Amino acid sequence: MKTYSAKPAEVAKKWILVDADGLVLGRLASIVANRLRGKHKPSYTPHVDCGDNVIVINAEKVRLTGNKLEQRKFFWHTGHPGGIKERSMGQILGGRYPERVILKAVERMVPRGPLGRQQMSNLRVYAGTSHPHEAQQPEALDVAGMNRKNKRIA
Amino acid sequence: MARVKRGVTTHARHKKIVDMAAGYRGRSSTNFRIAIEKVEKGLQYAYRDRRNRKRTFRGLWIQRINAGVREHGLTYSQFMNGIKRAGIDIDRKVLSDLAIREPEAFRALVEKARGALSGAD
Repeated sequence: MKTYSAKPAEVAKKWILVDADGLVLGRLASIVANRLRGKHKPSYTPHVDCGDNVIVINAEKVRLTGNKLEQRKFFWHTGHPGGIKERSMGQILGGRYPERVILKAVERMVPRGPLGRQQMSNLRVYAGTSHPHEAQQPEALDVAGMNRKNKRIA
Repeated sequence: MARVKRGVTTHARHKKIVDMAAGYRGRSSTNFRIAIEKVEKGLQYAYRDRRNRKRTFRGLWIQRINAGVREHGLTYSQFMNGIKRAGIDIDRKVLSDLAIREPEAFRALVEKARGALSGAD
């Protein structure tokens, strides 16, 4: 008997909708990353993009525990001397592109490489409640109901 | 007696190595001196990885069983404990294949494991 290996053509990719309102960032990101990679399927194949397409809405309402809103920083370097810049997660969440907080968290949980980049392209994050993927008829995924610690009130 | 010229055997020996290096990157695939280093290292990796393959596949079967079992609300370790207590002796390769190709049979196994777990406590 030969171990099953999924072919790209026979992978059934579903569309999943997640409402991030009140969810804890890291817990949400790990569930989303597992879905993107296809590790929730018995037919998981490490070298094939066998995960689902994931839509995240209300990304601006994601929660961070403790003091991470002020203390967790994003860094980048401009290339000039002394060009290290930083923004706290709170600044990003309150800024123009609050969806980047979730994008970055998931990106860091998906292996880097050609396959990881392809799987990241299956993730769509939106700050508000609307998304342009109604035609794909996404299925809602109840992340809050999986574990009582996934959601924080206030 | 015929005279032996050494270029013929040398060329044959070099050709054997360079042919084994087909598809390698840069001069590794054309130049004997570099090709022999890469071919020897490649054979070492091949020897090692024939052994490692057995471990990576076992790891993959475990990941697949875990994914299949979590659909039914158990975890891998709970399932393996339950299936052992139920006296079912199926290896991980077959279990993972059942999870993919025979979901109904796999569900029955999960129920058996769950029963064995609740009976034991």
